[in-house]
Amino acid sequence: MMFTTAARWPAVFLLLSALCTLFVPAVTVKHENFKTCDQSGFCKRNRQFADDAAASSWTSPYALDPATITFKNGQLSGTVFKTLKEGEAQVRLPLTVTFLESGVARVTLDEERRLKGDVDLRHGSQARKERYNEAGKWALVGGLKVADGAALSEKAEAGYTKVFYGDAGKHQAVIRHAPFGIEFQRDGETQIKFNDRGLLNMEHWRQKVEPPPKEEEKKEGDEENKDEEKTEEKVEEKKDEGPKGEDESTWWEETFGGNTDSKPRGPEAAALDISFPGYEHVFGIPEHATRLSLKTTRGGDGNYKEPYRLYNADVFEYEMDSPMTLYGAIPFMQAHRKGSTVGVFWLNAAETWVDVVKSKTTANPLALGLKGHTDIQTHWISESGLLDVFVFLGPTPQDLTRQYGELTGYTAMPQSFAIAYHQCRWNYVTDEDVKDVDRKFDKFNIPYDVIWLDIEYTHEKKYFTWDPLTFVNPTKMHKHLDKRERKLVAIIDPHIKNTNDYPVIDELKKKGLAVKNKDGGDYEGWCWPGSSMWIDCFNPAAITWWKGLFKYDSFKGTAPNTFIWNDMNEPSVFNGPETTMPKDNLHHDNWEHRDVHNINGMTFHNATYEAMLERKKGEIRRPFVLTRAFYSGSQRVGAMWTGDNLAEWSHLEASIPMVLNQGISGFPFSGADVGGFFGNPSKELLTRWYQTGIFYPFFRGHAHIDTRRREPYIAGSPYTEIITQALRLRYQLLPAWYTAFHEAATIGAPIIRPNFYIHPEDEKGFAVDDQLYVGSTGLLAKPVTKEGAESVSVYIADDQPYYNYFDYTVYQGAGQHTVPAPLDTIPLLMQGGHVIPRRDRPRRSSGLMKFDPFTLVVVLDKDGNAAGTLYVDDGETFDYQQGAYIHRRFSFDGKRNALTSTNLHPRATVKTDAYLKTMAKVRVEKVIVVGAPKAWKGKSQVVVSEEGAKESARKRQVGFEYYESSGKKAAWAVVRDPKVAIGKGWKIDFS
Amino acid sequence: MGKYQLSSLALLLPLLTICANAASEAPRPRGVGPEFAKFYKDAESFTCISNPSIKLEVSRLNDDYCDCPDGSDEPGTAACSYISPLSPAQPSRVKTGQFNETLALPGYYCKNKGHLPGYIPFTNVNDGVCDYELCCDGSDEWEGVGGVKCEDRCAKIGKEWRKQDEARQKSLTAANKRRKELVVEAGRLRKEVEDRILTLQTQIQSQEIKTEALTKSLAEVERQEKGKVIKGAGKGGKVTVLASLAKDRIQELVDNLSRVKDERETARTRIEELEAILKRFKEEYNPNFNDEGVKRAVKAWEDYAAQERPGPDSARDRDLEEILKPDSESAIKWEEYEAPEESDVDVLYKFEEYLPDPVRKWVDHKLRDLRILLIENGILADPHTSDTPESQAVASAREQLAGATRELDADKSELQKHREDLDKDYGPDSVFRALQGHCVEQDSGEYTYEHCFLDKTTQKPKKGGGHTGMGNFVRIETIAVDEDLPADGKGLGSGVRWALVYEGGQHCWNGPNRSTMVVLACAEKDEMWKIVEQEKCVYRMEVGTPAVCGIKEGKEAPVHSEL
Repeated sequence: MMFTTAARWPAVFLLLSALCTLFVPAVTVKHENFKTCDQSGFCKRNRQFADDAAASSWTSPYALDPATITFKNGQLSGTVFKTLKEGEAQVRLPLTVTFLESGVARVTLDEERRLKGDVDLRHGSQARKERYNEAGKWALVGGLKVADGAALSEKAEAGYTKVFYGDAGKHQAVIRHAPFGIEFQRDGETQIKFNDRGLLNMEHWRQKVEPPPKEEEKKEGDEENKDEEKTEEKVEEKKDEGPKGEDESTWWEETFGGNTDSKPRGPEAAALDISFPGYEHVFGIPEHATRLSLKTTRGGDGNYKEPYRLYNADVFEYEMDSPMTLYGAIPFMQAHRKGSTVGVFWLNAAETWVDVVKSKTTANPLALGLKGHTDIQTHWISESGLLDVFVFLGPTPQDLTRQYGELTGYTAMPQSFAIAYHQCRWNYVTDEDVKDVDRKFDKFNIPYDVIWLDIEYTHEKKYFTWDPLTFVNPTKMHKHLDKRERKLVAIIDPHIKNTNDYPVIDELKKKGLAVKNKDGGDYEGWCWPGSSMWIDCFNPAAITWWKGLFKYDSFKGTAPNTFIWNDMNEPSVFNGPETTMPKDNLHHDNWEHRDVHNINGMTFHNATYEAMLERKKGEIRRPFVLTRAFYSGSQRVGAMWTGDNLAEWSHLEASIPMVLNQGISGFPFSGADVGGFFGNPSKELLTRWYQTGIFYPFFRGHAHIDTRRREPYIAGSPYTEIITQALRLRYQLLPAWYTAFHEAATIGAPIIRPNFYIHPEDEKGFAVDDQLYVGSTGLLAKPVTKEGAESVSVYIADDQPYYNYFDYTVYQGAGQHTVPAPLDTIPLLMQGGHVIPRRDRPRRSSGLMKFDPFTLVVVLDKDGNAAGTLYVDDGETFDYQQGAYIHRRFSFDGKRNALTSTNLHPRATVKTDAYLKTMAKVRVEKVIVVGAPKAWKGKSQVVVSEEGAKESARKRQVGFEYYESSGKKAAWAVVRDPKVAIGKGWKIDFS
Repeated sequence: MGKYQLSSLALLLPLLTICANAASEAPRPRGVGPEFAKFYKDAESFTCISNPSIKLEVSRLNDDYCDCPDGSDEPGTAACSYISPLSPAQPSRVKTGQFNETLALPGYYCKNKGHLPGYIPFTNVNDGVCDYELCCDGSDEWEGVGGVKCEDRCAKIGKEWRKQDEARQKSLTAANKRRKELVVEAGRLRKEVEDRILTLQTQIQSQEIKTEALTKSLAEVERQEKGKVIKGAGKGGKVTVLASLAKDRIQELVDNLSRVKDERETARTRIEELEAILKRFKEEYNPNFNDEGVKRAVKAWEDYAAQERPGPDSARDRDLEEILKPDSESAIKWEEYEAPEESDVDVLYKFEEYLPDPVRKWVDHKLRDLRILLIENGILADPHTSDTPESQAVASAREQLAGATRELDADKSELQKHREDLDKDYGPDSVFRALQGHCVEQDSGEYTYEHCFLDKTTQKPKKGGGHTGMGNFVRIETIAVDEDLPADGKGLGSGVRWALVYEGGQHCWNGPNRSTMVVLACAEKDEMWKIVEQEKCVYRMEVGTPAVCGIKEGKEAPVHSEL
């Protein structure tokens, strides 16, 4: 007994010390740098408003005057009146509800007085008087065609207006006049409600009433100072209560972290409650380090206390499981339940907070058969701008991503290198260092496509220059990389060093293209280079100027294989409030920074994209620009990454729901820094991160300047070999990835997809966010994110067979399945029913795989069928827009026992033919059939026929091998070199 | 030695080619090297090299489809390039282990007529890139994918190579010659040490004898002097004056010492305060917002904090306190000197004054003997106590002895040092002995790097500022390297190389103490080729030196390399 106790103590100590090391606050987010809702005046006011509304018998003071309603060309207009205290004039709020052909409705509420400019701004501000109404100019690119079929309903009850719209008039908007509210119905069932809880709040313009000068009256003669102080205190107290019982303390000025916002326009928030009756899950509104299915935000066990915040910010060492704001904002939320997906897109660029509450109706135990149900209630609060909301009624997740993409644009089709592996580090220190890393990859037979340079390559942080001591010959470096079709990405940030002898800053100042401070002078802040100014890309002239800076003879030392990384574009300002710009800064056209903040990063990203298109006349290639800050629409111009994460298991785990969320929110070209930016990952963590990173659409290893080197070849055996296998797996599957990107670029589908997106009817899987599907390939990966794991539990949603990618072990039946996952194994399954295109020959870079043959993996479903698609183009130019691409559908028909390739290209053009010619020799070298029928046993040949082949060669016999199933491993078969062209129609007959 | 390998290959391969050609009339299939020709002789069929149970029609050779599990049917295409432990696993075609599923061939064989033949990895075959480094005849791109055309450049490359090879050989000859000189020089230096040891040994012997004699003589003088009573001339006179002067002087010193001590205390507190501020600053600043000024300051602080400085020595402080105490508490009793009294010794002298001269002498003599006896037996107090100055004779004897002992100790420690030096590892043939302390420099980026053989490595910023120690010499090792050998031969190549390890350099911000691994390869001159920071503050230098030319690395690996 004594002995055992004694023996236990050291264990306890070990545990304790292990725990202690876990809690060493080596790196944590600096909370005091960022606001809570309570510290953000308009959020506090509106949350209070919500609390007050819930506590009393509240009636919303907003009413739509039926007399003002007009309906014309699919658009309903009217005026909503906001009733104030007795004796005060009503506030007129112009309303438009637009019904779009896509079945989407748009609700816009403005404020007449501000719109007309009939307001005074304080402090002599030059800022615009209107509510910001240009967010759509930056975010929207289409889908705005108004529905011809939308019609007013004749049968509306008194006090309501009804409009039928959408496909076959299945959608209906029921507008309640007083208090103003809208219910959106699909097939007669309400899916979304506006102002159901009465939280609509348009903070109207008002003149600041200076506190009555009572002190003056009392200050007769020279009374004692003490009394005077007391009087002042009383006045203060009175002011806090406010004449109308409203808290005015945050109306006119706010100070945070030593920075004062002068708020020349006073309070201007736009807020609304949006409810999703009968829904239990909402997804979206990135970017937050949180789960896919959003938690509620009003406290309670395991829930958040703060609303989700959308205010692009450089959050240093951000924490996990938090509604805190991050680098980008997409105010698009979708609610999902069995049989229905609906959503809203809150088109507002100002600081926005979103509260999410789930209200459960418990089932009455006496009423048999009646289930309890859950409603999701959300509360959207923006600091300024229009209230402008798009309503999507689905009914499928695919409808939502497509319709949202129609509005904000689809993912730009990337160059093929961009979806291969990127090797980054802050910093590769010299041009020789770059070449050396490049050589090492080849030496270790590890594929990679792109090497990156962080800020240290510049001469004293002056963008568009090279450090003459460390990057002596950038041109030679580029040529060296180009030999293996490799690229270089250099960082260019929006802050321009404010220094002498730097033409870029001179021009910026001279041309007046910098963001202005509240007084109209050039705004000066602090960033990497020290004192800096920021280019204002809201200004078209700034974009024109920016384009010039990237031309090869301007940004000397760059080449066609140079691409760009835009960082710090939230914008990050080291000495600004919340590490960003003061809200009363002025942008082009005198819009205040507060109005455009969340769009700012996108305008810069967009300017760089435009610049990349015009580097040289006649040399048009698809740009690649990575951004950290983003908004709805950023997907049109590049990729994003999840910012400065940590080399910790928790960050690896969080990266999966974060990237999945980007996917369903319209910006799927995303990834997290592999290995974790801050800190040194253990070799195991690094290896697992690579095994996860190969499933990020944007796949880049990156590391902070203070970390040890961690290129894949450094870890040593067996880690380097295991990482290389993972990288080669990514490269092997590049045809499948590229096809998934094509889907994102044409129908807005996510590139990696969460369970609910693939199985929208499977209620158990709605919240599953730790595994993913790659495009439409049926590849299901469950990356290992736990230290020391030897296996994982994969959730299977349907009754299809799922085959282990590497050895064809079968897993079947809905539910959890244990899949082995020792360090050298990636848990990857193939759902039955797909054809997966691969290229099996390992090459040094993706560019060198261009003409390699394909392998098709035909994974049969439970009925013996399979289908899949392949999209291929030159991976570089825009010729695909003129038809220069191959788009095939492969399908295996179990009944006819044949695999066919059919054309999905709608119409061949001259460019198509030219492209097909270059690809004429590219063939299918191997077909693997997984789950091959027993009947094929003994067969040694199959018959291949190909379109356009000479009569004599129309039917060819080719070799065939069948491998019996053994144990849990499925039977499989190989067609030996069918020699069919990838761009042609053909058939392989197995009968 | 890369050079050796290359040159031996150069000799060997043409021979091989000739033999192979002579042996088989039929041309080898594309990509097959002469040493594998025997597997491809059959005109009808082909047997997979590692899997003899698999026989293929000859038409399946190089048909761009991988049939053999060992890839041997595709020596001239990339079809089997996926066979590698680095590739994603795929199901074995039969039971695992039945077939050898590793590549049987080293790669695609480029004949490179006019230059050296070589193998290029299968992954590089028909990928659209002319890999002239390995395949100067361009035959790796025989398919011309994507329209690539790789002309045969072997004539030019071969010529250039031979020219360079000649230069290399020349340089190698010179380097070997230089190495011999170095070895001779090292031998000479060793001889010098050995000679010195001999000299020292003799010197020590005689010194020891001398010391012994001096010790004896000191003892004798002391004995002689012990009985002698020394009187300061003029009782109380000069001593008293001196004492009072000394007293004043000491008081003055004590006062000043006390003031300086106070000043030191204030300065210490201020430093502590400042260090606390900087410490907090370092903990709280935001490294992501690294504005250069802040970063420099933090770095300077880190370097400062990393330096080892002796903390306050409490023992010394106690001594200081002791010194500062008022004299009354210390052993010095000024009063005794200010008011001298008669001692019993004086009484004795007085007694002698009343005796007749001869008697007095006799008595005097006897008394002195008696006194010595008494003193030696501890009955009488020794008049030459610490507070009485020693006599001139004793002092001089003592000094002589001390001097002799010092010399002896110095000689002994020098001997010790040289003996250790003889045992120390100076690499193969002790050649590095000739280079010890010799330095080479190289510019890289913002810094100039310096390597001083068997001494230290240093980083010197070009933009000015302090030098940074990157490590002090600790040992000689051998390591395996695998690097490309540039045409000029200035590189490590592949194989086992000698390396000098330097550790314990300046502490690194957020990292370890700097350390450097200096990897050596044969060169005509001592020169630094390359310096890389492998990971944070772990450097690697590639240094050329004739010292390592022509030795077989690995076999002579020093036994005590792990020291």
